[in-house]
Amino acid sequence: MTKETFLHDKHVGLGAKMVDFAGWHMPVQYTSIIEEHNTVRENVGLFDVSHMGEVFVSGKDALEFLNKVVPQDITKLAYEKAVYCQLPNKNGGLIDDLIIYKLGILEYLIICNASRIDEDLNWLVRNSKEFDVKIDNLSHIYSLLAVQGPKADALMRKMGLTTQQESFTIQPAKIAGIKLLASRTGYTGEDGYELLVENKHSEYLWDKILEDGKEFGIKPIGLGARDTLRLEAALHLYGNDLDENTTPIEAGLSWSVPKDKKEDYNGKEVIMNQIQNGTQKKLIGLKMLDKSIARHEYEVYFKGEKVGHITSGGPSPVLKANIALAYVKNDKEICTGATVQVMIREKLHDAEVVKRPFVEKRNRIKL
Amino acid sequence: MSITEKILCTKSHEFLLENADKTFTIGLTDYAVEQLGDIVFLELPEIGAEFKKGETFATVESVKAASEIYMPISGKIVAANNEAVDAPEILNEDSFEKGWLVKIEATGENETDDLLTYTDYKAELE
Repeated sequence: MTKETFLHDKHVGLGAKMVDFAGWHMPVQYTSIIEEHNTVRENVGLFDVSHMGEVFVSGKDALEFLNKVVPQDITKLAYEKAVYCQLPNKNGGLIDDLIIYKLGILEYLIICNASRIDEDLNWLVRNSKEFDVKIDNLSHIYSLLAVQGPKADALMRKMGLTTQQESFTIQPAKIAGIKLLASRTGYTGEDGYELLVENKHSEYLWDKILEDGKEFGIKPIGLGARDTLRLEAALHLYGNDLDENTTPIEAGLSWSVPKDKKEDYNGKEVIMNQIQNGTQKKLIGLKMLDKSIARHEYEVYFKGEKVGHITSGGPSPVLKANIALAYVKNDKEICTGATVQVMIREKLHDAEVVKRPFVEKRNRIKL
Repeated sequence: MSITEKILCTKSHEFLLENADKTFTIGLTDYAVEQLGDIVFLELPEIGAEFKKGETFATVESVKAASEIYMPISGKIVAANNEAVDAPEILNEDSFEKGWLVKIEATGENETDDLLTYTDYKAELE
């Protein structure tokens, strides 16, 4: 059975093209992916991301437990702060990537991928046996609305947000009179908020944001543009760019993994070894040098030898070029500025290795 | 007579139009381009290339995916729409006229029996 978010009828009513995604019937686009993409880069867009998972972790050992399941140092996570994390298995491969929020002294919120909720819960419960901890999957109670773009903050202020919120923080807020949790995070490479709200208020809030956002040029944004936006920002997509056979170090996520965390965690040995001694494969960014488009699973060649494969690829509306993420063998010569080839319909097409992100976060908020 | 009264369509969403000079124009239906969404890439065959009915002769890519385009009948390519290659978005604006793909000389016979009139094609989509 395909699941529907509480906003499903809104999407259908707006004429969205609906697709199945991770078991959910979701809007892929309302008008045009490129138009929606540019709306988020230039103004502000509204996304229904209620399919994502919300798992609350609480209890006496909540901190120790979380510190055992992620490479990040949760002891350093301050009240009302958020941190990007991974959930490694014993070999350092990733079961999921997530954001962990500290809501109280003994209370944390995990937001995880829709496609991985079952695997995550299974893994968390299996790892919780020695801990006095409560794991509650409350995904069915909450809707998640993302308001993203350079004008997101102005819109939220107009709608009642009063506090000045830093990036990667979460706070209780009242937007359009509705109590919710406002998190200054997103998956677009733009400034913005993600609003965690009880399902019963989601339809009202959706309509009100679209109405109050008119003066800012707001549009509803589907999963198609969510994908092109995150790709320009080189944010990983679980299932494409991350999986159980890929470690955070291989995935280019070393920046998020502390080198000095004392506590043991799943996969620590492999991950620390890779930090010290390097990896077999690495993630690179590519820009196609002709008009062709590299797609998921296309092969990558270097000096006539097959060296890896594309994990995500598509057009960048901002760069007006085609970009991709690929895993290749960890060869020093395959570095920024080098030319590789992508096999597309039995022909090799040149691509340049470029820095990630492909598009800089232009509207990064000042702290 | 509007173009939709003159074309034949395939179930894989190509259209075929017979021209006054006995060549045929091939393109994608309005339904096809609407379903694809923003078209960002188009690859057309060389002039002179020959294809059998049902063979892949071109590729179209939307933001999300690549799709193959099939020959409605057998033929030899006599013209390709290079404007559409340079600006594939014109397919979204008008796939029947501005966004045509290729012109062919037919090389087979009696190959149109399984093609649908536009009215029947639309009815099949219901």
